[in-house]
Amino acid sequence: MISAALYLSRRSLANATRRRLARLRQPKYLIGFALGVLYYYWLIARPRSGAAGGAAGLPGAGGEVLAILLLMNWVFGSSRSPFAFTPAETHYLFTAPLTRRQVLDFKLLRSQLPLFLSSLLSVLIFSGGHFTPSRIVRVLGLWLVFSALQMHYGVAALVRQSLEEHGVTAVRRRLGVITVLTGVAVAVALILRRQLPEVQAAFAAGPAAGLDALGAILHRGVLGVIVWPLSALVRPLLAPDLATFAARLPAAFLVVGLHYVWLVRSSLAFEEVAVESAERMARRIAAWRSGRRPPPSERRSKGARRSLGRLAPVGSPARAIAWKNVQAEWRGSGVRLPVIIVLGVAAVAWVASLGAAAGTGIQVLATLLLVFAGMAVVFGPYILRNDLRADLLLWDLLKSYPLRGADLVAGEVLGPVAVLTGVAWGCLLAAFAASLAIDLPGFPVLDRLAALLATAIAAPAFLVVITLIQNAAALVFPAWVTLGPGRAAGVEMIGQRMLTMIGSLLLMLLAFLPAAVVAAVAVAIAGVAGVDGVWRAVPGAIGLTVTLGFEGMLAVAWLGRVFERSDPAAELGG
Amino acid sequence: MIEVRGLTKLYGSLVAVEDLSFSVAPGEVLGLVGPNGAGKTTTLRSLVGIVRPTRGTISIGAKRQLAFMPDEPRLFEYLTVEEHLRFTGRLYGVRDSDGRIPALLRELELAEKAGALPDELSRGMKQKLAIACGLLHEPKALLFDEPLTGLDPAGMRRMKQTIVERARQGAAVILSSHLLHLVEEVCTRVLVIHRGRLVAIGTIAEIVGSRPDLQGRSLEEVFLALTGT
Repeated sequence: MISAALYLSRRSLANATRRRLARLRQPKYLIGFALGVLYYYWLIARPRSGAAGGAAGLPGAGGEVLAILLLMNWVFGSSRSPFAFTPAETHYLFTAPLTRRQVLDFKLLRSQLPLFLSSLLSVLIFSGGHFTPSRIVRVLGLWLVFSALQMHYGVAALVRQSLEEHGVTAVRRRLGVITVLTGVAVAVALILRRQLPEVQAAFAAGPAAGLDALGAILHRGVLGVIVWPLSALVRPLLAPDLATFAARLPAAFLVVGLHYVWLVRSSLAFEEVAVESAERMARRIAAWRSGRRPPPSERRSKGARRSLGRLAPVGSPARAIAWKNVQAEWRGSGVRLPVIIVLGVAAVAWVASLGAAAGTGIQVLATLLLVFAGMAVVFGPYILRNDLRADLLLWDLLKSYPLRGADLVAGEVLGPVAVLTGVAWGCLLAAFAASLAIDLPGFPVLDRLAALLATAIAAPAFLVVITLIQNAAALVFPAWVTLGPGRAAGVEMIGQRMLTMIGSLLLMLLAFLPAAVVAAVAVAIAGVAGVDGVWRAVPGAIGLTVTLGFEGMLAVAWLGRVFERSDPAAELGG
Repeated sequence: MIEVRGLTKLYGSLVAVEDLSFSVAPGEVLGLVGPNGAGKTTTLRSLVGIVRPTRGTISIGAKRQLAFMPDEPRLFEYLTVEEHLRFTGRLYGVRDSDGRIPALLRELELAEKAGALPDELSRGMKQKLAIACGLLHEPKALLFDEPLTGLDPAGMRRMKQTIVERARQGAAVILSSHLLHLVEEVCTRVLVIHRGRLVAIGTIAEIVGSRPDLQGRSLEEVFLALTGT
């Protein structure tokens, strides 16, 4: 079994490398590869002052960092396991005469090569161009950490998936794990709450003292016991020499081994839950057949979240495409993240208000909302990809529609823009509403209203331009942009991503320059016309939006022609 | 009416289709057969406008009158079965889609899955949905690429009836398939293509009649002899 896993890894790596090398015959991949190599050279081998890269260069609070990573994963992580099987693995492994545990071992073994390469690359990058044989200790230490982390994430994903798919059955089956995890979380919260004054006092003396105090609390008493596995795991990585590394290994191996046992048991338990759930479903179907329950088809499909509005039979095709993309954003996104963000913002505002001047909490809340609005505009188009970046996987279907290319491109772009505009406007409005409860000297309510109007007018125009540039990259250089949810790998892809990023920034600059000039002229005219202070920003925003909108229309028309002339087979193969 | 003259499609130095000419009259079902890589799918994709022919002319009418059902169903991950049809109806300007959708769902046995997302459907159901989307706007020209893939025997029978029924109603149909019994059963004429070139066209009787050495042989043997495979 081990030899089969090694063979598959070895041959896959060799064939992938050969294919990538063959691809370098195309200039765009060669240029991308050259840039990728230069990038890695710059990361790894560039001379850096004071780049000793010894143990002292590594963060001492490794256990705390791990704790934060694990906490983030439990709260924000997805239910997709890092050990999810590919269709080919499912076909070959599950039909082979292997036990479930052997199949899992196979997957674990296969995942070790990428983890080792990641460890090696990380150490190379942080070694400041001085990779000595002793650094192998760091590579091995980091490999251990990555392995344990991956197994932990795998268990977390299984628990989440089990709860999502099998509800009560899973809760009953996983009661032990859930109780222990909840107990740990409650214990940590209670202890930290008790120690809060000590930490606050330390932070008052300075951030370093505060962090030291926090570290000390985390390593004593009950918390020390809870944090021990994490510390044990990172201690080999922090070892100053080989002998210390060897001495610290047994404890780390113990943690990795326990994670392995936990993962195997969770995986088997997950299957048992699935079987139990399937049996329950079979009983429900039997009940339906005997007339005691409505048929499953009459109940709402489990996977389909309710539709966001009904599409009218006639109307603009661009609006139909935009509607489809908004449905995809709605159904593809979870509710957990927005809920956590809202609770997090409220918690930060509440903490900021403790012992501070009146209104500080609201001021922090309004500021955070403004930051979120800005992030939605600047980063949103990179995150929401239900436009051509997803739909070009169905390129031939799109081409078979009786649509003008420009209508298609406009519809594709408008979907994510509509969603992000909603988010940005929501945050801006909430920030404005929150600001009404506080007194801001030098920034009266009417001026705040003007700022709200100006930013609300300009936000969609910014979003259109940024989203259009991302879609243009996908349409004009489909081989350089990751289509769909996956992410292409390889040195040349790094270079291509850099080129795409540089190109996008240049295009943004080109688009915003004339708009900024028009906006400045509009502001100046408003000033001459006697419009007061901040209110001049409103005509400025209108000028900016009109200019960007005009540029956007030109870009949509051009991209429409590019789409109409495109050949999916030549672009994507097949 | 579908009319193709001198259709040629090159991918660099690779000749996918070369100088292909044929026509399909309303009510006719033309079977497009050939070995793997013969150029069948490229021909269909050229007809529907997905790929641009290198040379030649294609007369097939307005795109709104056309439907292409690919071998691999292309569906949107986050639209339900009914929403796929509603969305397609909007793109093709089908004013009475509200009335047509339930009937089409019943015809293709998808009514119970109207609210399901594609990942909740079997391969055959996905195929049926893709075909339902193609039939919604009552096209005058229908292009099927391996329409029976993934269907169960009952689904196959229903699909054959659907194809024949649409031809009877006056549609010009092209059906590409490796299933020779399907071609024999459903198609009024057959076009045999090999390495991008037309090898034979006509009814099976006409094709066999033009080659005395093929007399009395099965359709499979005729196909193998024509394509030299």
